[in-house]
Amino acid sequence: MNETTQNLLVFGGVLFAIGMVGFLTRRSLILMFLSLEMMLSGVSVNLIAFSRHHQNYQGQILAIMVLTIAACEAAIALALVVSLYRRKATLDVAAWDDLSETLIPKVIEAPQTLEEPAMEFPKLTPAGLDPLSRPISANFDAQSMENGESVKANTLEAGTHA
Amino acid sequence: MNLLNNYFLNSAFFAQADTDSAVPTAVSQVVEQAAPLQAWTNSMLVPIVLGAVGYLLIQHGVVKSKAYFAGGAVALILAVGFAIGFTPGTFESYVLMSFCAVATGGGIGFLTAREPVYAALGFATAVLSVCGVLFMQSALFIAAATMIVYAGATIIIFLFVLMFAQQTELRTYDVQLNNPLVAAAIGAILLATITMCVTENNAILPVRVDSTRAMSAASLPDNLSSEAGKEASKKLDAIDPNLRYVPKLTAGLGRSMYTDYLLAVELAGTVLLVATIGAIALAQRTTETQS
Repeated sequence: MNETTQNLLVFGGVLFAIGMVGFLTRRSLILMFLSLEMMLSGVSVNLIAFSRHHQNYQGQILAIMVLTIAACEAAIALALVVSLYRRKATLDVAAWDDLSETLIPKVIEAPQTLEEPAMEFPKLTPAGLDPLSRPISANFDAQSMENGESVKANTLEAGTHA
Repeated sequence: MNLLNNYFLNSAFFAQADTDSAVPTAVSQVVEQAAPLQAWTNSMLVPIVLGAVGYLLIQHGVVKSKAYFAGGAVALILAVGFAIGFTPGTFESYVLMSFCAVATGGGIGFLTAREPVYAALGFATAVLSVCGVLFMQSALFIAAATMIVYAGATIIIFLFVLMFAQQTELRTYDVQLNNPLVAAAIGAILLATITMCVTENNAILPVRVDSTRAMSAASLPDNLSSEAGKEASKKLDAIDPNLRYVPKLTAGLGRSMYTDYLLAVELAGTVLLVATIGAIALAQRTTETQS
């Protein structure tokens, strides 16, 4: 049982670290709040593991409190995000850098888009006649086309039409 | 109603709570000696550093060949298989470990997904697996509540806002990350520190009996006074003495919540009320902008 507790503590630490890395790297407001929730769920795992280990309900009570505070935080965060989005129409955290210290020089970054590999289509061997450059004449004969006789005539006609 | 009868109407039960919780101390010390904890070794740093490096690799798109990805996936599956093969455990521990693995995978998907919607789905996967872990740890009520609150309400509302705010193409702030190198380093150091602290000698103390919170102690699953309850507890004792004292009853949780922690519950309710009012006030458009 102790070993399970230990493993779960490490697992809670993993969740907490994932949430913290997400909070530090993500720049979208919503994803930053999701990272916070991830950290809180890691803490919940810890509390439940200790509740089981100590054989009482205190850890579970604390987990319920964490859940309540997380719900409150999510509600207020969403209201904040919506009202911020109404002002600047972006979810970028950097849009609100003016609220922080102005001593740090602002880094102007070039917009970067996700590079996608260029689509490659299979190259087919051209077949048939191109109706744009070589319109089919009214007296087109498929039989003689197979013999290869009227090809030249066809091109000549196309030339005269143009 | 049966549970309520057992736990609220049986007056002898309240008197027993303290003595019951005092028993497992000796038992758990015996168990602890039987199964020594895993100590910290420097080889535990390897998966942490590997995880950080792998996160960076996936994030920056350094590895572009699909063969590397396939090889990495095969190596990962092999590693998990080896780990399971070498770890002695019961079926339950394997289920628990797989829940942990799925949760970690969801978290990594959450970290590395470029599209915010996919990131939110990864978060939902992680939270649902965490619910599974809580379920395996016999915290049934918490598991259900987490499922409802996180995976239900939070994720749905966040997805609403994401779709409300998101255009079809990816934005710069979704693609470009804030200092991924520094963040990965900080995360690896934090995780290493946590692991080091947890695997330290005597990091996890033996069972602590809190006599000031008598109502919060886990109790016998069955009513002791009845013959059936005695037989059931004897059977459980034969399997594992610790099984009897697992805090798994929702009725027990409620009993603890509304006796020992009544003030905390009231405070939490107040916080919820304030948060509701605040959210409504914040999300409302002001009358000036309307006119």
